[in-house]
Amino acid sequence: MQISDFFRGSPDGIDVHGPKVLLSFQVGSLTINLTETIVISWGIILAVTLLLLWLTSGMKTRNISKRQVVAEWIVQTVYDLVESSMGKRWRSFAPYIGALFTFSILGSLISMLGFRSVTADYNAPLAWALVTFVMIHATNIRTNGIGGYLKGYVDPVPVMLPINVLSELSTPVSMSLRHFGNIVSGMVITSLVYFALSVITKSVGVAFMTIGIPAVLSLYFDLFSGFMQAFVFIMLTMAYISNADGRDPEAA
Amino acid sequence: MVEKVLYTDFLTIDVGTILFTLINTLLIFLAFRFILFKRVDAIVEKRKNEVDATYTEAEKARSEANADKEKYAAAMSGAKQEAAELLSRAEKKAQKEGDAILAEARSAAQTVRERATAETERERVQARTELQGEIADLAMELAQKIMEKEINKADHERLIDEFIEEIGEEGDNA
Repeated sequence: MQISDFFRGSPDGIDVHGPKVLLSFQVGSLTINLTETIVISWGIILAVTLLLLWLTSGMKTRNISKRQVVAEWIVQTVYDLVESSMGKRWRSFAPYIGALFTFSILGSLISMLGFRSVTADYNAPLAWALVTFVMIHATNIRTNGIGGYLKGYVDPVPVMLPINVLSELSTPVSMSLRHFGNIVSGMVITSLVYFALSVITKSVGVAFMTIGIPAVLSLYFDLFSGFMQAFVFIMLTMAYISNADGRDPEAA
Repeated sequence: MVEKVLYTDFLTIDVGTILFTLINTLLIFLAFRFILFKRVDAIVEKRKNEVDATYTEAEKARSEANADKEKYAAAMSGAKQEAAELLSRAEKKAQKEGDAILAEARSAAQTVRERATAETERERVQARTELQGEIADLAMELAQKIMEKEINKADHERLIDEFIEEIGEEGDNA
């Protein structure tokens, strides 16, 4: 069975499942599944690293090459985005935001090359949301101290404690599920359409609808949705952390 | 032999995948941090320093040029003053020399005039002396002719001399 079979619709019906397990091994009591998600991620990392090395090779201060223009533009854009939403003091946060955005959008767009989206595996956005979660609380503790941080949970009245805890816990859940849901629903809908079209094709005998409609759907679900979710994820990450910081982003 | 394909569940939380994703995210972050951002930041910083250095140099060159300009202006005004001084000194000198020449000329003219006056005086005295002699002779001859040798010559000469002496005094007094 091919990876692309999933998208084309299997002749026996639609089979919706998680990523393929390529290798499985035990580490103590923990079963580690080396899934498609992980291996495709390695491919993305390799491609990104090579691309960045190529973009930043042979940089000069004058008479710069086109690829240096691109490299400087990327860096400047990310710096501007981070500074405008978090303030100048969070400038050093920019590489993480750039990396997260790139990983997310490439993880979604990789489906256009026929691979399974990395972000269609819930564990990927969940891992990123957990990083954001830890950063939010670390920032909060750093700004308010451990006492101020804990006091925040019984604010304004102690009765609010369970609601505040739930509110904090819902942040990573909602972030990761939003990302996963958008990408995976696109994947499911696309596979449903492919299945329907293949059934029609089989009964009519002419593949008159498998051209055109899937391309338009792919444009929305893969390209637009992939971009939107990556953007939403980094914007939420910056907003939550900046909010936990509590200081005025405009102040230097 | 048909390979058995294993899939995970559609929605499941897999600790292994989460850990690997965290490591992968770290790797991609490191690539951004130490390849893209580090290199671009370095080149931007370097460019900024170059621009700063260029500005500093330009500023220095401009202030140097200004200093030179002021120096030349000062030198020019000094030269002008010197020239004016020189001119006025030359004028004064010329004036002095002219005065000296004039004075010398005046004194020379004075000398010439005095000499001329003295010469004239001397000639006048000589002429008078000669004239005295001639008049005496003339008077003698005249008297001889009138008196026809009645009176001796010595008496006559004495009388005439006295007479001329009287005339001469009167002429000198006049």
